Amino acid sequence: MMAATFKCQPTGLHGSGIDAAAPRSSGNFGRFYSMRFACNTRCNTLRHVHTPLSISHDSSTESSLILIRHGESLWNEKNLFTGCCDVPLTQRGVEEAIEAGKRISFIPVDMIFTSALIRAQMTAMLAMTQHLQKKIPIIIHNENEEATTWTRVYSEKTTKQSIPVITAWELNERMYGELQGLNKQETAERYGKEKVHEWRRSFDIPPPKGESLEMCSKRAVSYFKDFIEPQLKSGKHVMVAAHGNSLRSIMMYLDRLTSQEVTTLELSTGVPLLYIYKEGKYMSRGSPVGPTEAGVYAYTQSLAVYRQQLDEMSP
Amino acid sequence: MAAEVYYQAIGTVQSHSHLNNLNRHQKHQNNIVRLVARDFISGNGLSRRSTNRSGRRNCTVIRSLASQTSVVDPVLSPSRSNAGDSNKKSNEAALILIRHGESLWNEKNLFTGCVDVPLSKKGIDEAIEAGKRISSIPVDVIFTSALIRAQMTAMLAMTQHRRGKVPIMLHNESERARSWSQVFSEDTKKQSIPVIAAWQLNERMYGELQGLNKQETADRYGKEQVHEWRRSYDIPPPNGESLEMCAQRAVAYFRDQIEPQLLSGKNVMISAHGNSLRSIIMYLDKLTSQEVISLELSTGIPMLYIFKEGRYIRRGSPTRPSEAGVYAYTKRLALYKQKLDDMFQ
Repeated sequence: MMAATFKCQPTGLHGSGIDAAAPRSSGNFGRFYSMRFACNTRCNTLRHVHTPLSISHDSSTESSLILIRHGESLWNEKNLFTGCCDVPLTQRGVEEAIEAGKRISFIPVDMIFTSALIRAQMTAMLAMTQHLQKKIPIIIHNENEEATTWTRVYSEKTTKQSIPVITAWELNERMYGELQGLNKQETAERYGKEKVHEWRRSFDIPPPKGESLEMCSKRAVSYFKDFIEPQLKSGKHVMVAAHGNSLRSIMMYLDRLTSQEVTTLELSTGVPLLYIYKEGKYMSRGSPVGPTEAGVYAYTQSLAVYRQQLDEMSP
Repeated sequence: MAAEVYYQAIGTVQSHSHLNNLNRHQKHQNNIVRLVARDFISGNGLSRRSTNRSGRRNCTVIRSLASQTSVVDPVLSPSRSNAGDSNKKSNEAALILIRHGESLWNEKNLFTGCVDVPLSKKGIDEAIEAGKRISSIPVDVIFTSALIRAQMTAMLAMTQHRRGKVPIMLHNESERARSWSQVFSEDTKKQSIPVIAAWQLNERMYGELQGLNKQETADRYGKEQVHEWRRSYDIPPPNGESLEMCAQRAVAYFRDQIEPQLLSGKNVMISAHGNSLRSIIMYLDKLTSQEVISLELSTGIPMLYIFKEGRYIRRGSPTRPSEAGVYAYTKRLALYKQKLDDMFQ
């Protein structure tokens, strides 16, 4: 599949396994992207989703991708390294999630992906309570056959009114190994300030028993490409609720950033980011303003029409 | 088969089938307390899903006919004289039960059962309100079901808790999940409240009614049939659970995993669902199957029990800390509340 291998950008992504796409100005770009997806049969197997997956190669398909980083957690508040410890949101984090929900209340959502951690799941569920469309998120369970049987829905109509929510450990925060649960002071004392700084800010140096940002990117971006991108390609609108490191790994892929650029990329908490996926390209559209804020910001014509329909629906 | 649950008076509880899967370390019941308590922070052996759920649970208990007010004398309690425990010996513990608030399907009047539907805005408010009501009651460990609406209820409620300890969800799905969620600071662990998610605390599984609205269901099966499924004790809907079946797995879990915590003096909160909670209340209050069918639990209103010397004393629903009148349930709880008040002065 040689044609699908893209040249890396000058500074390169060292051994990260991430395909850096050809520069935007290349006229062949769109075609290469579609070809790669068509060849990748793994895209078609999405075990956990009940809704039918229709891969369409219609180049006019456009879908929205919302990324939300969860808000303040109880360990953020206490300044402890969290990583993959499953710590919930503070009251402030709850408010941030609801606020984020208001900002995306008029952007269509067909599927939601979250990490396996409660703070990201809560963020997604809290945000969706603000959503104007009538569909209801339902968390898909596939841990074992029993779970799948027990959570089955027996009404076609209800299924159509549902938004599947898929939880994936691959979207978890970067695993911080032996730093998990330590405060910044303890850690500096135990390992020395420079070492800690290196772990936090480098691309490929993991803390003891932990992941480097590079390792986190590998599993997050693979998951994105295998399971999320096909949904976008088929025209589904997707929301991803996750964490600082897993999301910036994905943005590294969407925006084709270098490892240098990604280590300095900071994602605001609770502020949703919108991308439009169209013809194999991701266009960053910044952060949606809330529906009541002055100025109509119509990202694309189809989103404007969708919003119009929602406005007409509500009392 | 008897539709009643028999309570343990004095005697042996024989729990077969899946219960042994839950805690492989369990040889004798008097080891439960020590092992469960120790397993806590390292998250082993708790809330593991049963692999042979289809088998009938064989929870044989001997009912004491002699006395209506028989004290539940748990065989589990040799721990009282069990030295070498790292837990404080306390003969009293608080047990809080919270039924989650409105879910998005409640709002639409659809049968939910085990479908994993989140809370509505109202459900979120109910959870926070519930949290305010229990903000001065100690919580050492939290049990929830495997469904997000109960988990969110617990986590939202705990944002209101005054003690400041941090709930942490334990993960046991896989070796990777266990090792990835490890905490490496003793201090931090001491300030943590383990949260254990268990499918055994899930809502009653409603089988082929899940996702249907009341009208659709009446059309499909007939009104009387539906009424029977909803209100009987032992008649399950197609491919679903009866209340009896729900009670069996919920109460078995309670006795195996939760009661030992209370015995060792840990204050427990359970965040779950209408049917799983009333099954547990059936056990705590020694209700008959007739009584439990007509028991309705308010949503989002926490219920407090004091576990003391093997007995469950029901203390109703705590009032908010700002409400007039000091309602001190027990001296110990009054002291705890006092300490919190001092902290916040």
